[in-house]
Amino acid sequence: MLSIVISVLVVASYSIYAFGKAGMEHVNDLQFWAKTILIFIGIGIVAMIILQIVFHILMAISGAIRQKMKNDVVDEEEIERTMRVETSEDEMDKMIELKSNRFGYTIMGVGFMAGLIAIAFGASAVAMLNILFFSTWAGSFVEGLMQIRYYRRGV
Amino acid sequence: MPDKLEITNNIRTLRFFAHEMTQQALAEKAGVSRQTIIAVEAGKYSPSLELAFRIADAFGVPITDVFGFEKNEQK
Repeated sequence: MLSIVISVLVVASYSIYAFGKAGMEHVNDLQFWAKTILIFIGIGIVAMIILQIVFHILMAISGAIRQKMKNDVVDEEEIERTMRVETSEDEMDKMIELKSNRFGYTIMGVGFMAGLIAIAFGASAVAMLNILFFSTWAGSFVEGLMQIRYYRRGV
Repeated sequence: MPDKLEITNNIRTLRFFAHEMTQQALAEKAGVSRQTIIAVEAGKYSPSLELAFRIADAFGVPITDVFGFEKNEQK
């Protein structure tokens, strides 16, 4: 779920920035595009870490509220134990990750091929960079969708 | 082509007879998340042999009391 949110946010903000005024001023400046893409990849990674922390905090708070409503007391050990069980990756999580990663890598691979084909047909290196960038985030987006599908419908 | 096997389980019944053991409690005993127990119980995920044994161990019964299979003939 987080990878879907992050990929949508990063692609949207990148599109607004890169295809707006800034991008138009540096249409053939490869260095500008490389720097921009690196910055947005960094933003994506940082956003993912922050969202994961927020998600864990919210999970702990909701666990405490549920306990308080049920027992009228909050047992910190119980919350910690529940958090440990719920957040640790078990065999089903690993299986789902493996299966959904396959879709992500396929899309990235197709993006790489599309980039090469674009270059072969005379497109600029900037176009290839953008194709690679978009296919990477599209892969991440589809990976997230497939994870949701596997969790809901089964592996 | 061999017949397709559908893995079945009696986890819900076994939980009932284990003083209505919660999915959370079973998950903790088996060392997996509650989500995984829900998926196994609903037949949406076929567990590894190790997890199947751990679930059986949590109920204190042989693995064949927890899991079974049905043959679906291929057409």
